[in-house]
Amino acid sequence: MGEGLIMERNPNAFLKEEYNELVKKNLDWKLRILETGSTPHSVVDGKKVIMLCSNNYLNLSNHPKLIKNAIDAAKKFGAGSGSVRAIAGTMKLHMEVEKRLAKFKGTESSLIYQTGFAANAGLIPQLAGKGDIIISDELNHGSIIDGVRLTKADRAVFKHKDMGELEKALNDADKKYNRILVITDGVFSMDGDIAPMDKIVKLANEYGAMSYVDDAHGEGVIGPDGRGIGAHFGIEGKIDVEMGTFSKAYGVVGGLIAGSQDLVNFAYNKSRTWLLSGSHPPAVAGAQLAAIDVLETEPEHVKKLWDNTNYFKKELKSMGFDTGESETPITPVIVGESSKAKELSNKLYDEGIFALPIVFPMVARDKARIRTMMNAGLTKEDLEFTLDKFEKLGKKLDII
Amino acid sequence: MISKIGFMVNPVAGMGGKVGLKGTDGVLKQAIKLGAKPVAPRKAVETIKEFISKYSKKDKIQWFTCSGEMGADELKKVGVTKIEIVYTPTGKDTTSSDTKNACKKFLEKQVDLILFCGGDGTARDIFEIVSTKLPILGIPSGVKMHSGVFGINTSASAKMLHEFVNKHLTIGDAEIMDLDEDRYRKGEWNIKLFGIAKGIVEPTYVQVGKTMFESVSDDEIKDELTEHILDEIEQNSDFLFLFGSGGTIEYITKKLDIKNTLLGIDAVYNKKVLGSDLNEEGILKLLEKYPKAKVILSPIGAQGFILGRGNLQLSPKVIRKIGIDNIIVVSTPSKLASTPVIRVDTGDRKLDQLFAEREFMMIVIGYRLSRVVKIQTNNF
Repeated sequence: MGEGLIMERNPNAFLKEEYNELVKKNLDWKLRILETGSTPHSVVDGKKVIMLCSNNYLNLSNHPKLIKNAIDAAKKFGAGSGSVRAIAGTMKLHMEVEKRLAKFKGTESSLIYQTGFAANAGLIPQLAGKGDIIISDELNHGSIIDGVRLTKADRAVFKHKDMGELEKALNDADKKYNRILVITDGVFSMDGDIAPMDKIVKLANEYGAMSYVDDAHGEGVIGPDGRGIGAHFGIEGKIDVEMGTFSKAYGVVGGLIAGSQDLVNFAYNKSRTWLLSGSHPPAVAGAQLAAIDVLETEPEHVKKLWDNTNYFKKELKSMGFDTGESETPITPVIVGESSKAKELSNKLYDEGIFALPIVFPMVARDKARIRTMMNAGLTKEDLEFTLDKFEKLGKKLDII
Repeated sequence: MISKIGFMVNPVAGMGGKVGLKGTDGVLKQAIKLGAKPVAPRKAVETIKEFISKYSKKDKIQWFTCSGEMGADELKKVGVTKIEIVYTPTGKDTTSSDTKNACKKFLEKQVDLILFCGGDGTARDIFEIVSTKLPILGIPSGVKMHSGVFGINTSASAKMLHEFVNKHLTIGDAEIMDLDEDRYRKGEWNIKLFGIAKGIVEPTYVQVGKTMFESVSDDEIKDELTEHILDEIEQNSDFLFLFGSGGTIEYITKKLDIKNTLLGIDAVYNKKVLGSDLNEEGILKLLEKYPKAKVILSPIGAQGFILGRGNLQLSPKVIRKIGIDNIIVVSTPSKLASTPVIRVDTGDRKLDQLFAEREFMMIVIGYRLSRVVKIQTNNF
């Protein structure tokens, strides 16, 4: 381009255009600001609400032991870790968390990633490549899908939890591919149902396939003491890759995988997300360690979560609400059309309850819902208050 | 926004069914003599009634229709009085030329969609006039309803109309299929593919944000399918490839620069066309010379047939020679959304059984992406 010519291309124009397009379609995220911690009673955008959409199932983010350990670790080891794990960012504390986590989950070894997304996006592409196939449940989480997209492997999808279809896909793959990886969510985040992991592992074993579960919503929630999906089905150590997160029930942040020592050795040498991002600050690792401690020594949190969940579900059902197939503290309240779900969510917020609507195409067009996530920190009175509002609004909006 | 809907009833459609005729095309008098009663007007009323009571409070529609039983009567019966009559049939009994003339008027009025009540014969008449210029939605009421334009029942058609008006559904391929009259006269029941019309289909969505999805156009999906098939061809350079019929396959062959007959079977080897619009004999001859072959099919019509409707050239003998493992089925996800099973009816019980025993088939729905789909055969 000659001097003096005015460049006609505006390199930044698309930023505004695409954002405005989202706003126009009402698809942009309107960030809600918390003025408190993520507590059962939070202040969101200036309003006091009962929090039904955080993943802080056990309320551990507010547990004194976690807070204390985070502070102590920061005081002792500083605010940051200084490096990626591979170079100079692996502290004794990180190693301690991994050791304790493996023990807690009944596996040989474990590895902590920066986030759950980093675990999926970093590890999955290393597990399968050209000439391999990844077989996946149709409702798997977005981070799995992104991990799968990064591979050169073929992909096959089976109907949600349909073991007949999974077997067919395995059978078909058996003849054509080298490695086969079966991948599923443990607890499905839209419906709160649980993958039949025992059957999946059995089928995978029959066909020489590797099994991989994303147990983000199961960690700290299902299984004895919240040990996750392996413990839930009594198959600890039998799932090839148990992936999870510290950001939900554990109340901190960070992704994790648990499995054999071979898996861990392979994973930290090959996962680019792990190798190329800084390690967790000491405060995070300290809190993670305390979270495992609490889960091992204070079973009351998991018990309270389930007591709350069972009561809440039972009462919603008896009011006539459709709560779908949920088996976990994720309880969808299915209301039908998208507009109704949005309206109910808005009205609930006005009444002091924060629960998000989930609408098409996240879920079927006539299955729009409010997704509620139970919290161990809610009292009986909180639940009565919440149920009362649900009943009142459900009647008003012709849902029940 | 107001949607302009061209609404038409073929009042005699479906009358042949109960008296054992293949339809009423050309045999109306015989049907009436045998005691046939009108079906279509009742089905049309049912559909519109459901649409009005369930959805129309919000949906704004400008109705264009034909006089009398060809539309106006049915609309009035359910209380729709604001209608514009664009066509009046000439004789007492409506014929296929009335259907066609009404369609010409709908085109002139630039309606957004033709909603009709009838069977495959009616769909064919409409397609003859509107081709791919307008999307077509059928209320099933004929004896034969193999075409891909029909809702599975009247409720489904009412709902689809609602979803279309609210722009939840998009426009996609829909095969027009009907009995092959020539063969029928010789005593054979053969459903032939007459063309690819525009129907309304569920869009395909991909997740782009956390809860944000974007609908992907059918063409983008078909581009992916093309890439997939190209890989197949390159990886199996010693194979003869037979391309079946239908909109998806036509798109793929066009992209691959293979001259394809839309409604027939073509053979390609090393990207060169060895035969177009082949009959069974022609295919068998090629298979002698090229014993290693793969056939690429796509589900067609309302019921999702991959074999046995619209492609009898792929006879049991041909399929046995090629081998079931060498059948590649491709489909857009939106097509699978409307036909969640794929059907096979080869006319050969033993061959059908081989398909039935598999229970499922892997259908290619994107580049190197497949999904498990149930197979249904007629006999099992």
